[in-house]
Amino acid sequence: MADVTLYHWEPNANSGKPMLALMEKGVAFNSHYIDMLNFDQHKPEYLAINPQGTIPAMTHGDRVLVESTAIMEYVNDEFDGPDLMPANAQDRLRIRWWMKFMDQWLAPSFSMFGWKFFVGPNALKAHGQAKIEEQIARIPLPERQTAWRKAVFGLFSEEEMAESGRRIGVGIRMLEEELGKREWLASDQYSLADVNGFNLAYAMPLSQPHLANDEVTPNIMRWLRAIYRRPATRDCWKLGRTPMASRVEILEQDYIPPRDESEGISSGVR
Amino acid sequence: MGTILYHGEPSGPSLTVLAALSESGVDVECRSLDLLDGDRHRIAGLTDTTALDMGVEGEGPVLVIDGEAMTESVFIAQYFDEIGSGSLQPKDAYKHWQMLMWCRRVTERAAPAAAFLKCEAFAHPVLRALDEAQFSKIADAIVSDDLRARWQAVRAGDFPDGQKADSRTKIIGLADMIEAALADGRAWLMGDFSIADLVTYPWLCIDLVPEALDGRPHTAAWLARMEARPSVIAALARTKSATPQTCWAPGPEINRWG
Repeated sequence: MADVTLYHWEPNANSGKPMLALMEKGVAFNSHYIDMLNFDQHKPEYLAINPQGTIPAMTHGDRVLVESTAIMEYVNDEFDGPDLMPANAQDRLRIRWWMKFMDQWLAPSFSMFGWKFFVGPNALKAHGQAKIEEQIARIPLPERQTAWRKAVFGLFSEEEMAESGRRIGVGIRMLEEELGKREWLASDQYSLADVNGFNLAYAMPLSQPHLANDEVTPNIMRWLRAIYRRPATRDCWKLGRTPMASRVEILEQDYIPPRDESEGISSGVR
Repeated sequence: MGTILYHGEPSGPSLTVLAALSESGVDVECRSLDLLDGDRHRIAGLTDTTALDMGVEGEGPVLVIDGEAMTESVFIAQYFDEIGSGSLQPKDAYKHWQMLMWCRRVTERAAPAAAFLKCEAFAHPVLRALDEAQFSKIADAIVSDDLRARWQAVRAGDFPDGQKADSRTKIIGLADMIEAALADGRAWLMGDFSIADLVTYPWLCIDLVPEALDGRPHTAAWLARMEARPSVIAALARTKSATPQTCWAPGPEINRWG
């Protein structure tokens, strides 16, 4: 039994961040899969670990840690293995800026599409309306209850979706520009910003094929393929249990041409 | 080239960073901006403006290092600490995680609420008084569409009652967090004095939500300790207005997911 247990869903978005960070560091951990669409994260056995009912969570001995980016910083500080933060303080500042920008500005916009087109409908299909109301009522955080209601019952407004769409477009252009400045995101070495960014961006060539491809965003594609080639990334995505994780295989293609927006997996699956 | 800290009046995120600079012992040239006049969007000589243009924090301080604009007060405070005294962040990884979590709860939940209330009270009257040409000069220089929209909302007086009530609740929630953290008799939020104290202090706006101190003696005592801290006194002494607590410009947005 390892001293570390990670409670996670698919290698994707917030769950994928600490999964990949642990694997890059070479830290052995118990993988505890939480089926988000089955509401495992709101069951008493998980709430005993994380009363807020959010995923991921990590235990290290008797310590309990939550919030994916903060967990990654802990993993990097606490354990031996390759340093995933550069020594230069200005680089660290830039990395932290990008992680906050992605976590709080860009990722929630991707999530709105994923929740509207994938999480909500699939959860509703699996449970039915009456049962899902019961599930939502059990969610500890009021704002998560709101998010689930909006997703399950299709309550995101046109304005909200349009604003999220705008932010996705802006964010992809910013990433492309930033990755034109350096080999890795925000610094010259592979860091937590890359771990974070890959989890946000790996499926963009599928979900936003008009915005992310080898013609429009060559720097993003170079960067995604470089991360995909890393052994830790391969091992990490093997922990996926749904077709969501297999989307990463698009990065095996040497050339991804632009395609129309309508050909994207508008389900987003995020 | 070199390093220059551009800051607003010592309130909100500018106060955090000015006090952190003082604590760190780092010597950096400081230049004062009139944030509510849009100065922050007219800084000359920048070679990389990504973080200035698109920062989540809104109208916070800008640290320029060799032409590159860097933003977000928590991370600038960490930067000063890391090149300076190294005394503002716990060395233990778990305690450091606790500090990061604390700062995130403050900047994600309390800071948008405080900025909302402060802008209604103090920024709205100033922006409302501008004529269209004066306001356009500011708004046109703002790169981020959503930050510009927050400026427009402040000028228009778009402060829905629901968000006002929710913002007051979040300030009370911040006071509850502080009171609970100090319940074991510690002097500072993380035990030792840290960036968490410097990040929290500017957002507990008791001038607008005085009931935040009701029945919270630990919080009131902590506030008094903060006000007596030499770095906070030094930061506040940089004011050009004599009333920095009334000087605010649009801050972080209220979470779009509710």
